[in-house]
Amino acid sequence: MTVKIGFLSLAHMHAHSYARALQNRTDCSLVGVYDPDQKRGEAGAKGMNTTFYSDPLELLAQVDAVIICSENNRHREFTELAAEHGCHILCEKPIATTLEDGQAMIEACQKHNVKLQIAFPVRFATPVMRVKEMLDQGQIGDVLAITGTNHGQMPGGWFVDPVLAGGGAVMDHTVHVVDLIRWFLGKEFVSVYAEVDQMLWDVDIDDCGMLSMEMEGGIIVTQDPSWSRPRTNPTWGDVTLEITGTKGVIQLDAFAQNFMVYDDEKKKVSQRSFAEDMDSGLIDVFITMIKENREPSITGYDGLKALEVALAAYESARLKKPIPIN
Amino acid sequence: MIRVGIVGYGTIGRLHAQAWQEVPGSKLAVVADCDAASLEKAQNDWNLPAVASVDEMLEKYDVDLIDICVPTPLHESVMRRAIEGDKHVFCEKPLARSLEEGQRMVELSSGYQQKVGIGHVVRFTPAYQKMRQSIKDGEVGEPGVIRTFRGGSQFPMGYQNWFADFDQSGGVILDLLIHDLDYCRWLFGDVERVYAQSTRGRAEEQLEHAMIVLRFKNGVIGHVEGSWTNFPGQFYTRVEMAGTNGLISFDSRSTEPIRTMTAAGVRLQVGPTAVNPYALELLDMVEAIKEDREPLITPHDAYETLNVALAALESVRTGQVVKL
Repeated sequence: MTVKIGFLSLAHMHAHSYARALQNRTDCSLVGVYDPDQKRGEAGAKGMNTTFYSDPLELLAQVDAVIICSENNRHREFTELAAEHGCHILCEKPIATTLEDGQAMIEACQKHNVKLQIAFPVRFATPVMRVKEMLDQGQIGDVLAITGTNHGQMPGGWFVDPVLAGGGAVMDHTVHVVDLIRWFLGKEFVSVYAEVDQMLWDVDIDDCGMLSMEMEGGIIVTQDPSWSRPRTNPTWGDVTLEITGTKGVIQLDAFAQNFMVYDDEKKKVSQRSFAEDMDSGLIDVFITMIKENREPSITGYDGLKALEVALAAYESARLKKPIPIN
Repeated sequence: MIRVGIVGYGTIGRLHAQAWQEVPGSKLAVVADCDAASLEKAQNDWNLPAVASVDEMLEKYDVDLIDICVPTPLHESVMRRAIEGDKHVFCEKPLARSLEEGQRMVELSSGYQQKVGIGHVVRFTPAYQKMRQSIKDGEVGEPGVIRTFRGGSQFPMGYQNWFADFDQSGGVILDLLIHDLDYCRWLFGDVERVYAQSTRGRAEEQLEHAMIVLRFKNGVIGHVEGSWTNFPGQFYTRVEMAGTNGLISFDSRSTEPIRTMTAAGVRLQVGPTAVNPYALELLDMVEAIKEDREPLITPHDAYETLNVALAALESVRTGQVVKL
């Protein structure tokens, strides 16, 4: 079977790498793109060599599944629309900007019997998958503590609009690391303390912070989600985890596989990755899930639990005390 | 289905045996080795028949391809037997120990109906492939200077310590740095002249550090460096390429995404890529057979690289510049 896919909104730049991953496969086809921003949608569709639809219903009538890459606060309306039309959904992270919206998305998909997968592509980076195996094999015993970073450059655009994004650096970069840790350990976070502020950029949203958390079983965790990489940084940012266990330590630098390119013409120093493309792993499980009628490997619930931690971090920063998570 | 027989179950034979498991359309069928302990290990590792020689393999087993993993000076005789048996041949680098052997191997394989490929695995590693693409895309402009390093690890252990016998292995330059010489040729083409130095003979037998200065016909200046030591250390490689518009810089030590520290010590995982470069070079061979095309690295190509490595050895011996 050929799985027919459409994009609902190209607001998030990940849409383009997902499209490349789709188009490298023979078992799915990219039918087209809908975007409420017609100019962005038309340009994006052209870049993807596919069709732009000005009416989302026309696109939904022709596809088996959609990939939602809208602004965070519009994930709910697009998910509900796609679910009503019987389309399976891959939704960009974070699942939504409020727990209420996230819950509504999960319920809409259940009601219409469509599958909802959240896009946490970092799970598919090869080094990350290896660390998951090492932990499952007990190579460092029982995990006691984890220090994570997900640094980035300040993304600008709608990412710094409090309504559209639902939060800044903490919203953008907490959910990836929280998701990885929940996946690694199969345990939930129970409390969050966070310092959150706008210090680094001229934006009206948080651009830096530090989270200190506790998990079930007394595992202690910190996470730095700051947009602290300057414009001259040779790459977008990083995902690192230092995991201390009863029998050893694992240090993971998920995107270390690269070399440097110094380009005088572009006046730019950049890192060039030679790692496998993690987006193709994410797309693979999504397409395979649909073809083989499997359960999603990254569920709406996973998306909701990651969002819950990010929202608790904002609450903690506001109240200046640790916030319990149920 | 390509049925494979590995001849030589030492360091590289074991790596290839693992890699063949990852090559679709192939099946490792039999292993040959003259050493009883290696034969027993092959049987235990893969539950396969193991024989004492390539002759016995050809006589008793139906194989399509012979994978030559014996010490360098034995490459020619095994290739000759495989070609007499009308088999496809994959031969580990370096092609041969001497230019004469190499020349005879090129002649053996020219006009031969089956495929013959040589294992210069660096051409199949993701980092080196992507760097070549950057050069091809003109990201550094016109290339001017290249520096490479390979080594830092303990002296390689081979059957009867053959790596330590210069007459068999050719030392660091022929056995190890030939990887980078081949990569440089792949990037920049033919070499004009070579000047090389080595510590061989100036320190204990199992410590060699060598530096090769190259001038390519296209004008590029190269420095190819590497070592075998007896100090505990981590194998690593480096590449730096400068051109009219910029620089490419790679050091495998800063590209290790996973480091573990346990009671067993510190362990670095060098590039846990999902693809095994050895499997990729063998897959190229299998596809070349299927598609009836030349493998990426032909005996002639490997001969040209061998020629550069032997010129470097001659330069070390004579202290003179060697023109190619």
